[in-house]
Amino acid sequence: MRRIWAVASNTIAQAIRLKSAGIVIVLLFVLLPMMGLTVVGDQTLKGKLQTFSSYGLSLTSILLCLLTIVISCYSLTSDLKYKQIFLVTTKPIRRFELLFGKFLGVVVLDAILLTLFSAIILGLTWSLPWWVKAPEGQQQQADREFFTARAVLVPTTNEKAIEEEVKRRYDQLRKEDQIPEDMTRERVLSEIRSQELFRAKTCEPGRAKLWTFEQVRVKNPNDMIFIRYKFRISNDPLESQVLSTWEIGDTRPLESGQNPGTPIFPVQRMDATQTELEFSVPSSCVAADGFLGILFFNDLQNNSKTIILDDLKVMYRTGSFEGNFLRVAAMILVRLVFLAALGVSVSTWLSFPVAVLICLVAYASGMINGFILESLKSLSLTLDILYRLTIRPILWFLPKFDEQFNPTAYLVEAKSLGWLFLAQAWGITAFIKSGILLVFGMWVFHNREISKTTSG
Amino acid sequence: MAGKNGEFVIETIALTKIFPDWWGRAKVIAVEDLNLKIHRNEIYGFLGPNGSGKTTTIKMLLNLLHPTRGKALVLGGEGRDPKITERIGYLPEESYLYRYLTARETLDFYGRLFNLPPRVRKSRIDTLLEMVGLTGMANRQVGTFSKGMARRIGLAQALINDPDLLILDEPTSGMDPIGTRQIKDLLIHLGKRGKTILLCSHLLADVEDVCDRIGILYGGKMQVEGPVRELLQQSDKRQIITNAISDAALHKIEAIVAAEQSECQVSSPMNRLEDLFVRVVTDAQQRQQRTSGAISTTAIGGFLAEEAEAEDILQRLAASKPDTDFRKPEFVELSPVQTTPSPTHIKSDLLDQLSHPPTVPTTESSAQTSRPAELPPQSLDEVRQNVLDALIDRSKKGNADTHPTRRSETPGDQNHA
Repeated sequence: MRRIWAVASNTIAQAIRLKSAGIVIVLLFVLLPMMGLTVVGDQTLKGKLQTFSSYGLSLTSILLCLLTIVISCYSLTSDLKYKQIFLVTTKPIRRFELLFGKFLGVVVLDAILLTLFSAIILGLTWSLPWWVKAPEGQQQQADREFFTARAVLVPTTNEKAIEEEVKRRYDQLRKEDQIPEDMTRERVLSEIRSQELFRAKTCEPGRAKLWTFEQVRVKNPNDMIFIRYKFRISNDPLESQVLSTWEIGDTRPLESGQNPGTPIFPVQRMDATQTELEFSVPSSCVAADGFLGILFFNDLQNNSKTIILDDLKVMYRTGSFEGNFLRVAAMILVRLVFLAALGVSVSTWLSFPVAVLICLVAYASGMINGFILESLKSLSLTLDILYRLTIRPILWFLPKFDEQFNPTAYLVEAKSLGWLFLAQAWGITAFIKSGILLVFGMWVFHNREISKTTSG
Repeated sequence: MAGKNGEFVIETIALTKIFPDWWGRAKVIAVEDLNLKIHRNEIYGFLGPNGSGKTTTIKMLLNLLHPTRGKALVLGGEGRDPKITERIGYLPEESYLYRYLTARETLDFYGRLFNLPPRVRKSRIDTLLEMVGLTGMANRQVGTFSKGMARRIGLAQALINDPDLLILDEPTSGMDPIGTRQIKDLLIHLGKRGKTILLCSHLLADVEDVCDRIGILYGGKMQVEGPVRELLQQSDKRQIITNAISDAALHKIEAIVAAEQSECQVSSPMNRLEDLFVRVVTDAQQRQQRTSGAISTTAIGGFLAEEAEAEDILQRLAASKPDTDFRKPEFVELSPVQTTPSPTHIKSDLLDQLSHPPTVPTTESSAQTSRPAELPPQSLDEVRQNVLDALIDRSKKGNADTHPTRRSETPGDQNHA
């Protein structure tokens, strides 16, 4: 281990002398405080905090990812190019130890830099309310909706009912001989399933829609429950307003004509469409068994078009902002570990520019992983076996840095990043995928010739 | 210490390296069927022109290149085994150091790769820095060093583990003459202390001064191999070295030689440029002239001499017996400082000269073959007779009483006749 640490510390010493490292460090030291001072957001304190934390962490993440790619690719290729490797591999250190030392050095440097700049962001975020001198109401809103960590629940969907409906409609289409000839059965079923899922979140004029949530475990009865959603209206211009009426509580007894189990909180709002919206109600609306019903009315007197409720979520406080911030930083470290492993691995057999290119492609694909998966999904229907044997393993191996793996989204929405999910990300990406990459790199490095040229 | 059979420290068996082209066809045969065998405690000079396969062979020994055919064994095992590499010190043809590390950090890094405890590491680093004359530049980045200074640090890193086997590729390249002299002295010292050294150099004079045995490689094949003395000695000629004797004596010698149906050349020998250079720089050092370069020193690391005393005793015992083994030459009594004075020894020589001014021989002269031997005072006739007898006697003996040239007298310090 001492030898590995010797290589790791040398890698750190080498990395911090790189110009690119200096540029990244100086940029972050300059830009983060500047962003803190100049950030505007939606003019509210919460908006400023959301914008600053989002931009600050994103910038830190992007720059550290690029730095990781450069350092991890440079460290070994530079040793090979300038032949310092001759003196190292002829010492009593195994090649896998050398490679692991390089990887460890990059990761330790990443951890140090991430800790440093996360601390700066956290400090600036804490001090932003003091600088801005926001009104009391905004301070309270920021405390409620930003300086917290909230659990997020999505509506319970009756998967079985949806699948039955999908099957029924498919059979009917087949009976009526309306299935297009150029579409496979899977494709038709997929199309119908999408339509059913879409229908589950639409509410036609004059109708009501009930969404139910289970396992709502509010720790403090004095806390609030947050309802988050986004409106869309079919065939309607973007800037339109929607008058919405909600009733929130344990609605189950109402179905049988009995008194509700909890207080029912009526809410009426006038909201813009295509915007993430949020309101709160007291947590006493949640039943003792964790059930919560949300009833939405599309009042015919106010709206004449179908309303689509996208991304309806129920949120409630489960932890502290600081704890969540720590987990978010740990999630950023996952991608840095993966990129370090990839960089070190590919630099065992590729030159510096090619290795960097490979890493950049992997990083970019990780940032749009969801899009790539979605766009290649159709291939799974047409090239079933080929897809399963070739494309799917590659897709699995691609890093996932977007959607639920995007750490900044957690801070912006004050969503709690669960320990379990974080452990899963570390397990799959930082240990399994990075481990496979490192083992492959070690195998290549173990078998390759260090010297290719001869001088005498 | 030696090979699997306990005989060789380095052994190659039909070692071959072929560099293929892009299509996998043989493009360059760098080394071909090389059978190299180096014994324990031997200083082996590995010679050859550029592209002859020396460095390729070394790289195969150290697992930097894979042999196409054959085997390369070092200390009885493969060069990739950490148990083997922890006993090897290697200095490549260039120093290949991390430019951003200081001299001390460089040695510390390599010391850590050998798992040396911090205290041992620190002690060895201090000793080695002093040994290579870079104590004053311990905290300077290696990237700012001249090539010669980088070579010194390169050599220091090769010694940090007190290796049993030293593989040195052009150790004196880029070094000033004093540095070169120090390295040669150091190699001889290390040889005395039981190290085996594979020395690769283009500077043939250095190899000649230091090595027990040499091998000359050309086109990847071993052309000639053997003890230096055997390969260099001109057994059909004789050399006599005297002090400045009279013309009359010279004529007599010429007459004797003519009577033997032979010819002789008489000239006054010249000092070697290396000696002149060393003397000038030593004088400057004595005047304490300031310099930002390396400081000359002849100190040798204590940790490298741990077994020296015991081995010296053994060698003295061995030397007291008749020994025809070329691997155990009679070098023990003749230390390198006697033969090629390094700066500090020049200092002591100067002091000796001040206290005991040299006397010019008048009627007495001492005759020497290539090995010094003191003769009692004699008349000129006796000298002539003795020289004649010696010539006849040695020609009869042939090479029976020859001695290795390594660690012998420096010709520039004596007169040739």
